[in-house]
Formats: sequence, C-alpha cells, structure tokens
Amino acid sequence: MKNKQYKLDIIPGIVLALFSIGYLALIPQIQTFTGMGATPLTNHFIPTLWGGFLLVLSLWIIARGFRKRKKFLEEGGKIENTSLKDAIMERREVIVSFIALTLYVVLMGPVGFAPMTILYVFAQILILTPREQWKKNIVPALITAVITGCVLFYIFRYMLNVLLPIGILKVFGL
Amino acid sequence: MILEGLMQVLQPMTIVLVAIGVAVGIIFGSIPGLTATMAIVMFLPVTYSMSASEGISMLMALYIGGISGGLISAILLNIPGTPSSVATCFDGKPLADKGEAGKALGTGVVFSFVGTIIGIALLVILAPVLCDFALKFQAYEYCALALFSLSMVIALTGHDMPKGLISAVLGALLATVGLAPIDSRPRFTFGMYQLNNGFALVVLLIGLFAISEVMAYAESVRQKQDFTIRSNVKIKGVGFTFKEFVGQLRNAVVSALIGVGIGILPGIGGGVSCMISYTVSKNTSKHRELYGTGIMDGVVASETANNGTIGGAMIPLLSLGIPGDAATAMLLGGLQVHNVAPGPLIYEKNGVVVYAIFFAMVLSAIFMMLFMLLGMRFFISVLKVPKNYLLPVVVVLCGIGAIGNANALFDTYCMVGFGLMSYLMIKSKIPTVPMILGFILGPTFEQNLRRVSQLASSDSFIGHPIFCVLIVATVFVVIFSVRANLKDAKRAQELEAAELHREAAGGDE
Amino acid sequence: MKRFFSLVLTCVMLLCLATGCGGGKDDSAQTPPPADNSGSSAPAAGDSSGEAWKPEKTINIYMTHGAGGDTDYMGRQLATALEGVLGVSVVVTNVTGSNGATCMQQYKDGETDGYTLIATNTAALNGNEATSMVDFGYDAFEPVAVYGIQSGENIVVPADAPYDDLQGLLDASKANPGQIRYGISTGGGVYIQACVLTNLGGAQFNIIDAGDGAARLTALLGGEVDATSLPYSTAADYIENGQLKSLCTCLSKAPDLLPDQKSASETIPELQIDTEYVVLAPKGTPANIVSALNAAILEATSTDSWKTMVNEYCLQNPFVLNVEDTVANLKNQRDLFQSFVPFL
Repeated sequence: MKNKQYKLDIIPGIVLALFSIGYLALIPQIQTFTGMGATPLTNHFIPTLWGGFLLVLSLWIIARGFRKRKKFLEEGGKIENTSLKDAIMERREVIVSFIALTLYVVLMGPVGFAPMTILYVFAQILILTPREQWKKNIVPALITAVITGCVLFYIFRYMLNVLLPIGILKVFGL
Repeated sequence: MILEGLMQVLQPMTIVLVAIGVAVGIIFGSIPGLTATMAIVMFLPVTYSMSASEGISMLMALYIGGISGGLISAILLNIPGTPSSVATCFDGKPLADKGEAGKALGTGVVFSFVGTIIGIALLVILAPVLCDFALKFQAYEYCALALFSLSMVIALTGHDMPKGLISAVLGALLATVGLAPIDSRPRFTFGMYQLNNGFALVVLLIGLFAISEVMAYAESVRQKQDFTIRSNVKIKGVGFTFKEFVGQLRNAVVSALIGVGIGILPGIGGGVSCMISYTVSKNTSKHRELYGTGIMDGVVASETANNGTIGGAMIPLLSLGIPGDAATAMLLGGLQVHNVAPGPLIYEKNGVVVYAIFFAMVLSAIFMMLFMLLGMRFFISVLKVPKNYLLPVVVVLCGIGAIGNANALFDTYCMVGFGLMSYLMIKSKIPTVPMILGFILGPTFEQNLRRVSQLASSDSFIGHPIFCVLIVATVFVVIFSVRANLKDAKRAQELEAAELHREAAGGDE
Repeated sequence: MKRFFSLVLTCVMLLCLATGCGGGKDDSAQTPPPADNSGSSAPAAGDSSGEAWKPEKTINIYMTHGAGGDTDYMGRQLATALEGVLGVSVVVTNVTGSNGATCMQQYKDGETDGYTLIATNTAALNGNEATSMVDFGYDAFEPVAVYGIQSGENIVVPADAPYDDLQGLLDASKANPGQIRYGISTGGGVYIQACVLTNLGGAQFNIIDAGDGAARLTALLGGEVDATSLPYSTAADYIENGQLKSLCTCLSKAPDLLPDQKSASETIPELQIDTEYVVLAPKGTPANIVSALNAAILEATSTDSWKTMVNEYCLQNPFVLNVEDTVANLKNQRDLFQSFVPFL
C-alpha cells in the first residue's frame, strides 16, 4: 500500500500548482481603485501573496512526492496502476452521492424544495444502504423522506420565513 | 438599580422567554448549518415588539444557547454545529467513539457554563479597563494579531507541515473571492453578482464537515454492516468525576481568558477562539501527544473558550457600542430599537437594562446547563439512529442553513462545491481545519495590512508596542511550532519505517 | 423492529424541532398581529386603498440590508403597519450584501404582480449607481414610496479639537495639508462625502480607510483618525458625555427633533446626503398597483403610533411621499449624486 504515498503528494501538488497559476493569471484583470483613500498596497497584493505561496507550497509537495517515488523505486517497489474503471467502481457510492446532491441543489429552484427533498432523501438513504438490504428499507426510507421534506419545508418556509423555493407547488397556491 | 435589573429578569414572562430562547438556541446551534447568528436574525424582529429587557434577554438566551448547542453535533456527528465548535470535534468525537459520549457531552456542557460565567464575570467587573484595551487595537495591532493567529496554523498542522499550510492558504485564497476589502472592487467573481459577497463561513463549514462526513460514510457502505455506533452509552451524573473537574480548572481558566480576550477584539470571533485555545492548551500541556485521541482537555479548551467569547464580545458592545461579530451586531440593533444606545453612557442612561442583561446572561447560562444536561440522554440517542437515515436529513438541514444564510439558492451550489473540494482534500491527506483559520483571518489580515500601508507614512510602527510584542510572539510561535512539527514528523517517519519493517517481515503478499 | 424504532426516533427528532421552533413563534403571536389577526380589519382597508387593486395574498418585501440595522427596522415597522391596512400578511425577508446591491440586482426584474416589493434606502440606491457598484439606478424600478428619513450622519471630531464648525475643519486642513486624518469607508456614502469635502470644499485631508460606522468610532476614539463621519445614533452618547463633538450634520436640513444642528450644506451647498427609506416595485409593475400600495403606505404611516416610533427612532417627523413626489425626490438625489461622479 505504500506506493500510494507519493501519489498523494504528486497529484494534488500538480492540481494545486495549476490552480494557483490560473489564480495568479486572473489577478491582472482585477480593477484597482485609484480614487481618494486608495491604499499603497492595492487589491492585487494579497491575492498575489497567497497565490504565490500556494504555488511554492505545491511545488514543494511535488518535489517531495518525486523524492518519495525515487526512494520507493530504490527500495524495490513496483508501480501498479489501478484502472480508472476500478477506481470509479470502488467509490461508486461517493460518486452517485455527489451526483444526487448536485441534482438536488440544481433542480431545487425550478422543482421546489419539498419535492426535491423527498426525492433526494429517499435516494441518498438507499445509496447509503447496502444493496442487499434495500428491500426492507424502501418503505422506511420513503416515509423518512416524505416527513423530512414536508415538515422541514413547512417549518422553515412558513414559520421561520426562509426563502425555500416553492417550485411546482405553486399550482396549489402555496 | 442592580435589584431593579434583577427584578426585570425575574418576571415570569422574561423567564419563559429566556427558557424558550435557550431551547431554540440549542436546537439551532446543534443542527449543522443553522447557527447562533441565524437564530438571532430570525428572532430579532419578534423582539421588536417586546419590552427592552424581555427582548434583549431573549436574544442573549438565543446567543448563549446557540453557541453552546454547537458542541452536540460536534461530539456526536463530528460535524460542528456552529463555527465556534470546530475545535470541539478534535477530541469530542474520538471520546464519543471510545464509548464515552456521555463524558464528552457532560464536559462540554459544564465547561461551556464555566466559560460563560467567567466571561460574564469579567464583563461585569472589568468592562471599563478592558474597553481601553480594545480601543488600543487599531490597524497595526489587528494586522499583527491576524498574523499571530495565522501562525497558530503551523501548530495546528501537525507532522505534515506543507499540506497544513496549503490548506490554510487555500482558505485565505477562497476568502479573496468577492468584493475586496476597503475599495469594494470585485475579485474573482467572473461577473457573477452572487459572488460579490464572497463565500459564507457557514457554507464552507457545511462543505468541509457535513458533506465530507456523508461521503466518508458512503465509502464504507459495503464494508460495515453495523449501522449503529454505540447503543449502550451509560451516563453517570454529568459524565465525569469531581476530581477530573478540578484537574481541568487551570486549563479552563486559561481557555476562558483566551476566549474573552478574543471576544473583546471586534471582528475575530468564536470560530478562531476555540481553535487558538485548543492549540495553546495542546502546546502547553504535559501530554500533548494525547490531544486528538479523545481526552477531556481538548473539549474543555474549545468549549470554555467559545463561551468565554460571548462575555468578551459583550464588553465593547455595551461599553463602546462596537459590535464584534455578526451576532453582537444584531444585538446592537435589538438594543437600539428599544432606545437603549450602547456606549459610554449606557450605565447612566439605561443602567437597569444593563443589569437586566447581566442577569439574563446568568439565567441563560443556568438554563443552558440544565437543558443540555437533562437532554443528554436524548442527544445520545441520536447515535442510535442509523447513519444512513440520519446523514441525508442532516444534509437537507445543511441545505436549509445555506439557503437561509443570505436567502439565496446560490449558496447551496457553493455547499456542494466545497463538499467536493473537501472530499478531494481528505483523499489527498490535506487537513481541512487550517483552512477555516485561513478563511477567517485572511481578510482581516489583508484589510489591516492595507490600512497599515496607508498609515505607515504618517505613523510608524514604533509607536505601537502591542504590534511589536505580537510580531515577536509570532516569530516565537513559528519557531516553536516548526520544531515541534519536525519532531512529530520524525516520530511519524519512525512509526512508518517500523510498520514497513513489519510488513516486510510479515512476508510479501 | 430496529428499523422501525430508528424511524420513530427520526420522526421524534423532527417533531421536536417543529415544536421547539413553534414554541418560539407562539409568543411572537401575542405581539404584532400577523396574518390571522389582521384578517378582521380587511373590510376597512378596502375603501381606502383604492378600488383598482387590492392584495389577496401575502406580500413579500425583500430587504436590502441586514437585521439589526435601521433600514431593516423601518421596513419591518412599515410591514407591520401595512398588514393592518391591507388585511394580508406582509413578510419581510433580508437578502443582504454589497450595500444592498445584491438584493436590488436579484429582484429588479422580479414579478410585477404587486406581491414582490423591495425595501431599501436612497443613499444605497443612488450611491451604488454613482460609485458604479451597479449599472442601474432608481429608474430600473417602479418607486412606490419614500416613507421616512434617517437621523443622518454627522461630521465628528474629538471634543478638544480646535475647530467648532465645518468651515473651521476645512480651514485647518488647508493650513496643514495632509496633516488631518479623515476616516472613511471607501466606496460608501462616507466616501462620497469625503470626495465632496475634498473637491468642492477644498479640504486637504489625509484620507484613511477606517471601515464601517463602529470601526470609525473606534478609530476616532483611539486617535487613529482626527475626524470622521458617524451616524448620529452611534455618536450621540459620546457627544453628550463630552468626548466628541459634532461639527455638522450631512443631512440637507437638521433632524426635526434636533433643530439646532448646523447643516453641512451651509458650508458646501452640494453636501447633502439624505438617507431616506424607500419601497420599490420591480420594473413594469402596473401603475394602479403602485398607487394602491402608495395609498396604503400613506394610510399606514398616518397613525400616532407611527409618529411616536419615528420620533424616537429617527429623531424625525414622519416623512412619507406620494408616488410623484417619491420619483421626483429620487431623481433630485440621483442628479446630485451623479454630479459627484467625475471626482468619485
């Protein structure tokens, strides 16, 4: 399992380095303020500082990662590549959860809080339940979902006045 | 006047309002995504039509209840209920995992009470002195303070320093999105007006803690069949012995003082105070290696400090009319509505209300301890709810919290984005906690650094002793923490090597 | 069995939440009359708010500033008063950020059926346009009514300062260019004011950013700045106990209940920063709805309790305008603010 250690430095390091370069590249587009009371350090300074820091730190862990890799190879480790498919299958619950969550928040505006919450909670409960136990969990999951969706919508929308989207329930004149 | 204030609080109506306020505060505080601030925002309009002491008593109750309630979900779910209980997770959750949830909760509750009372005591006795201290804090001092607090990140990171720093810098970087401090020019908003306000701390917290907790569970779905964690948690009394209580007193007093100190300084807040006090407690302790494995000391440090911050934040609010954070800004509004103007004349003009506030705070603290100790069995029963049912509901509540933060759906998109980011960070072994400090302190640092750049021409730093002291302290903290981290890293490496050795000895698979 | 138990627990949790929050709300019901109480006064409202349009469901007011501030408080007071006149619930929701720009951007093209309104203040509305925070002004909305005026901002200095009025401060700054530090919050109303002082009053301050009202107060008390502008309500106690003194108010005329104050416009005619509370409707809301709402606001604010509240909170007499005057008033202020644009 040790062979993963260096990957945990190299891959995030590269992602973060690219991110910080992108971030630094955006800085010149920021409009500076030159009117009265303008500060000698402009609003470019701190982003440049943080962006630069991040770049240095990510280069640091990339270098560290390669050092570890070298050491690992010297110690006779073999680099195994797990296929993308395996990696995805291994984390399928996480990926499906993120998809469910994304659909939930994106559709919440047009469809409404209550219906989407019912769908989401139901789906998420099943995602978090092992496949072989789905059967006896469907009814409790459905009940939990409906109660969560309706009760929370009522409490927060009508009693606490949070702007939860009504969505398709508009047809009922809510 | 003191008696009159007491009488105002001891009205049956006020007592009922305080009790309701504490209960609602605890509920808001304990639900991830809903914060003490949000509870105050929602109930502030309700208090407009009450009498001054009724209204302000209820707001104080919400505040104290809300800050205290955060420990429940921090300990039981590893998701801090409010920004102020982030550090409570560090030791609270491991303690609960050891089957000592009762002890963790009891410790948190009792020391929250202790912290609140110490804060109130300092507020009552030392307010005028401490106010002068608060006024000394100007751009120079804040700049140094932000730097000093940021240096605590190094102490927080542990053995993997570069990754800890990456996390903090990423946090500071996220905080640069939105209108720049001072000149209000948009940065990294890509023309989206929703981004002008920047990201909200509570949304970031949801992403970092709640969503990642769901994903961590999702990963383990196929591995474990045991849904419940500990169903047979026994509680005796408040969960810990009197001896243990006495043993924690020194830690508690130091933490409370840190909490009050940070509370007095406008603009820092409970989220920072709990983490700094945790770090200080850890680094001054004789058994620092035990921190994070589930010991009382960590819970005590975090919970005493964040409740101490309440009393601290009330000092500049009442005596100067200067609110320290979002919650106290709302309290200021709540007072002004009743024609109670906080400021130097508040004792002369509205002395009764001030004493009523003190007594309401004490009453709220008592109710808080009472409710939470009585509710402990019930809170713990949350652990019996299978996580596959509990977590989706928690996510929905977090979504509501994100929407309620600014009444905008946009924040839920950010919530999912931060969740994904946090998942990837955890997979890359980048700690998420330093990010919060970077996120909170980055803007404070920038704002004051830029002000200093404006002042430097007319006012050199030599006239600012606090600035110089803080800078020197920062240097010391950095050196000390780096040394400690190197030691930790060495130990970690040795452990790793030993493990490797064992693996090699155990034959190749 | 275990599953069932857990389900029950989940429900219990949710119910506790419901009752917990419900409990909090119950005692609010005894104070300002929400929906069900005001239902009884609906017939009375019918003849006053015009035959043309009468609301039948909840009106939503989106508040540009946060809870605890004066804009929010006034908006909520108005909403409560309106409920009594209109006979429907009027719900105020805060959508805050960027000095109100977030909310205005979000709702300027909102539904035009009269059930969506925006409450804000004129200094934010016109100021954000002048400082080019947003690219639209009051004409992106259908103004409904100006319904109040703030107690205003005052230019304040430490009590031992050698000048007693604005002219004295200006002269002192000319005598020692760059020596007097003036605290502002860049981009807001105070910034506009400092620009006017510099460009039209000839002041030669060292302009220092000191943040929002409370932070400027700290800076002034702590001696980081020598002069600044503060909301009267923030400075009042300090003026009374002799730590600070007010040189003038930046309102066009002194508040009704503090008539003795000097006005900045006596020294610099253009320096008039009037923060008025205003209700706007999204662009395209029909005129009959706007006038019906305006009539309702006029009626709601004609009571004695409104006058008492405004006297105490704003130190002003009620100041409520009909639709034409509201538009004219907004236009005047906008023109004034736009005349500052060259040097902002």
